[in-house]
Amino acid sequence: MSKVTYLTEVAHTVIDIEPGTSLMAAAVANAIDGIFGECGGNAMCATCHVFVEEGPFTALPPISDAEEEMLDCTAAPRRPNSRLSCQIPATSELDGLVVRIAEEQL
Amino acid sequence: MSITAPAVIDGPQTDYDAYSDEALLDPWRGYRMMRDAGPIVFLKKYNMYAATRYATVAHILRTPEVFPSGEGVMMNDQMNQVLRGNTLCSDGAVHDASRRIIVKPLTPKSLKPLQDEIQREATSLVERLIRRGRIEAVGDLASHLPVTIVSELVGLPEEGREQMLTWASEMFNCFGPSGPRTEKSFPVLAEMMAYATNQAVRGKLRPGSWAEAILDAADRGEVKPDQCPVMMIDYMGPSLDTTISAIGSAVWLFAEHPEQWDLVREDPALIPSAVNEVLRLESPIQDFSRSVAVDHNLEGIALPAGSRVITYYGAANRDERQYPDPDVFDVRRNPVDHLGFGAGPHACAGMNLAKLEMRAVLTALASSVRRFELHDARRPVHNILRGFTSLDVTLHT
Ligand code: HEM
Repeated sequence: MSKVTYLTEVAHTVIDIEPGTSLMAAAVANAIDGIFGECGGNAMCATCHVFVEEGPFTALPPISDAEEEMLDCTAAPRRPNSRLSCQIPATSELDGLVVRIAEEQL
Repeated sequence: MSITAPAVIDGPQTDYDAYSDEALLDPWRGYRMMRDAGPIVFLKKYNMYAATRYATVAHILRTPEVFPSGEGVMMNDQMNQVLRGNTLCSDGAVHDASRRIIVKPLTPKSLKPLQDEIQREATSLVERLIRRGRIEAVGDLASHLPVTIVSELVGLPEEGREQMLTWASEMFNCFGPSGPRTEKSFPVLAEMMAYATNQAVRGKLRPGSWAEAILDAADRGEVKPDQCPVMMIDYMGPSLDTTISAIGSAVWLFAEHPEQWDLVREDPALIPSAVNEVLRLESPIQDFSRSVAVDHNLEGIALPAGSRVITYYGAANRDERQYPDPDVFDVRRNPVDHLGFGAGPHACAGMNLAKLEMRAVLTALASSVRRFELHDARRPVHNILRGFTSLDVTLHT
């Protein structure tokens, strides 16, 4: 299991995520506001946009072509630390990761 | 790699014919039987495995190293040869290169400027149809946006365009297992391939169209020029019939479940959720397949390299292990994780457009139609697609 923290303007939630489950799926399963995952985790809609703020970011998987394309479509402007949370499966190396949920998703 | 029975067949087997006329028209009981038999079941009549549970289908679609698309995603050898090299039937770097080109006009950002036009078109269509009252909802309503707007965006030459609906439907029939139904469609597929090769060429395509962008990409060296005709099929095949089936199924479901239509009318914010629920319950593409590249242990069943697994999106979407009361149409469910668009690297490239069209039509209907009165509904017996040939309905305001 790896603990991941999700930040919004109003909340701060820590979830224990099973290896392999994406940060998007874990957020949706735990009813965290602000992450929609409208395309079901296929890097096709850019509605699970997060900013990686702290933690072991060198352990993050590289950005694929598909994610790259979609990061250019985010509603909130892309930043250097932007990721789609559906493209980040939890691993034990990612324990302690902190992500901020982009305010605008749709 | 041809479709033959593996030397040793592990796991449950069945004589069930998933492609009989009856099964195609009413697949749900058969799907349930296969889901309950195991994660995969060997279909003895077709020499292929069937995956029908949500978790198993999702696993297969998301594990392309074991279950590639490059050997084809159809259920017969001939067809798996024909489409070789398009986006649908490729893997790895070759797939990435062609998908990047195909997906470019289909991202949310590219589609945003079209949103208002599509909504305006849907609204004025619905206004016209309401004045008529009784309509044939497949031809008059569901086909309108795909045929007028999407065909124009794809930009193939006008001559032959009217054939596109027949071609697309026959092409999907060719995806099925060998048999009379499949073979009957092969000649039409040849016409479609000839059109893609001889008509989808520089000078005949609408300038600035999606189809022309494929040729531009080939000129820049991003894909091989001989890939262009099969890449045209990436647009010609799935961009029309699928969406038409989906809109038809939506009308049918709302006619059968007026209380669900009331919910949508009272709260149009439910429309995106309703769209997902329609696609879950009546997945327009019921099944494709994958070859097995290496021996694989699938939830305890030994799956041999060289075999083929049919992935039933439509059965996975009604798996009681994933969705409580899976046969119930509930517009508040919002099943964003449904597999109606597939999943993984080959997840539908056109899903944003398809949903945009569906939402536009439902938005227009919700603002003025109180009830759909269904007089008659006809389904085709089709290997792959689930939808209607005609829907005779009266729109009550
Ligand atoms: C409701 C409508 C639609 C449904 C249900 C649907 C369904 C699907 C499914 C299930 C797949 C996955 C194939 C696989 O697993 O191998 C797929 C792929 C694809 N779809 Fe759609 N589709 C729809 C609309 C569209 C539209 C409008 C377009 C184009 C304008 C389109 C273009 C494609 C393409 C190019 C692929 C291949 C993607 C790849 O292999 O990377 N689809 N679609």
